[in-house]
Amino acid sequence: MIKPAEWQLALPLALAFASIFLAPLLMLVGVSFFNDDKISQPGLAQWAKFLGDPFSYKVIADTLLLGVKTVCATIVVGYPLALVYLDAPPRLQKVMIFVIVMPLLLSVVVRTFAWIVVLGREGVINQLLISLGIISEPLRLLQTELGLVISLTQIEMPLMLLPLISVMSRLDPNLRDASAALGASRWRTLFTVIVPLSMPGLVAGCLLVFASSTTAFISQTVIGGVRLIYLPLLIWQQSLVVFNWPFAAVVSITLLISVLTVVSALSWLGRRSGGYVHG
Amino acid sequence: MFSRRSLLAGATALGGASLLPTLAHAKGSVTAAIYPGTWEEAYRSIVVPALKKDSDVELELQPLFAVDQVAKVKAARGAPPFDAFVLDPGPRIMAIEAGLIEKFDGKKLMNASKLPAGFVDEWGVCVGAQVVGIAYNPKKVPAPKGWKDLFSEPWVSRLGLTGFQTTFGTVSLIEIAKVFGGSETNVEPAFVELKKVLPKIAAVGQPAAMAGLFQQGQCDVMYTNTQTVATLKGRGVDIEFVKPETGAVAFYTTLHITKGATEVANAYKYFDAAVSKGVQEALTKPPYNFIPANKDVVMPSYLPMKSLDEFNSFVLHDWAKINPLRAGWIEKFNKEMAK
Repeated sequence: MIKPAEWQLALPLALAFASIFLAPLLMLVGVSFFNDDKISQPGLAQWAKFLGDPFSYKVIADTLLLGVKTVCATIVVGYPLALVYLDAPPRLQKVMIFVIVMPLLLSVVVRTFAWIVVLGREGVINQLLISLGIISEPLRLLQTELGLVISLTQIEMPLMLLPLISVMSRLDPNLRDASAALGASRWRTLFTVIVPLSMPGLVAGCLLVFASSTTAFISQTVIGGVRLIYLPLLIWQQSLVVFNWPFAAVVSITLLISVLTVVSALSWLGRRSGGYVHG
Repeated sequence: MFSRRSLLAGATALGGASLLPTLAHAKGSVTAAIYPGTWEEAYRSIVVPALKKDSDVELELQPLFAVDQVAKVKAARGAPPFDAFVLDPGPRIMAIEAGLIEKFDGKKLMNASKLPAGFVDEWGVCVGAQVVGIAYNPKKVPAPKGWKDLFSEPWVSRLGLTGFQTTFGTVSLIEIAKVFGGSETNVEPAFVELKKVLPKIAAVGQPAAMAGLFQQGQCDVMYTNTQTVATLKGRGVDIEFVKPETGAVAFYTTLHITKGATEVANAYKYFDAAVSKGVQEALTKPPYNFIPANKDVVMPSYLPMKSLDEFNSFVLHDWAKINPLRAGWIEKFNKEMAK
């Protein structure tokens, strides 16, 4: 029997990718080069309209900035949590993993509406602060970027923690003892030993959180409201309300390119840090 | 371990299985799009069993908003995923212009005589109406008189808004524009007034999120339809409907046969069942609270009218004029409202 070469084994998957992923993507690019919503006149009018409008750049910047803010918030909350996880006894670790994964088990719609109940004018946070006498008028949390980042931090947290924990739990515990024995303080051990070694996990987490939060249409529109405008909202409006598919294609490609740029920069950083750790 | 032969057999079986849904789509069935939420629940529990009982036709429902239905049929290019549309006036005209709707023969409907004049036309049949006005929370704010009140205290700081994406949002913003000197085709005055009060407004949300925002007390005044008010009230929310002094807005919801539909005869049977007296009567009851299209059905008491004839006194809009302007309005709303 002739043994199939390795590339032959990958052929079915490659074909599936080509037909269900690559072909629609090429069609999307093709559609963006039409002037009218009937997709009959080829031209660059939609690109010119999008790129010639200063509002578009504001929306692109806001979208990427939302991703950066969410990534920062998940690191600030998630990294200490991962450290606690590492030192926790196995039974507690199991409970923690369950709590961490829980947001993934809920539908995004349920999670999002739960945040309306928490952040709302008469929501949990405002009622607590008012009953404690800290504020007299309810704070505006819903439909603000702050509220949106808070909720996205919880929603995207598993994507940061899971890669982080999987990398950190493979670290040799002796390294910490060695660092302490050589006279390093706990902080120094953290920043010169643990953080650099956990870099691949951290970068993978950042990558996932960034890509997921910049494209989180439901959370962005329901919690953020429609005064905070991000690229996914524009795509939805143009494709499903206005039916201007060429323009929707232009916005989609812009979202794809801008997110991919940041993601590839991050993964380049990840590869570099990996080399740093092992080299 | 799998041999290559068993893998192949498995793949063939999978391929074969993908053909099954077409077999299941046998005689005696019809697939119809329906609005998600109340419409879907109501049609599933009332129209589906009625059609099965009267005509032995299986009704399969696909929950989709009006604009999504038009987008799907457009994208399907001649092989539509469902046999019947349910549409509001704006998307209805879009679908007709795009050639997505089959011509309709009103004579094939047994219940046609039970419907008011004009409810059956060459494109489809009207199954219900929506009345749009102002909803407010009587425990938090006094009753507003009309659209103008929404822009002054105490209402403005408790106001929840939506844009031009939906029919009810569009007609409400047009009515607001009118009281400030605009018209059906000139919504500029609404933008000017909105801009002035924007920092005070309680919420600007997605249409689908508005009921939730009201329920959670994020806003206490909004524009919406009578059905939403009745449904929220049924859940114990403090909410009342006000017919604005310039008149409430009415528009009709219509059923249509999709161009290229495979089950045309069954689609007519479905439409007939949907406008029959029994079904329409059941639809007007809580928790569904529909406005009936059948003349034999008594109007529910909470509605701001006694009979369908009164609709002529309501504000109606010409969507053939509105549709071409709407894309521009949506874009402008984004820019003017953006933080």
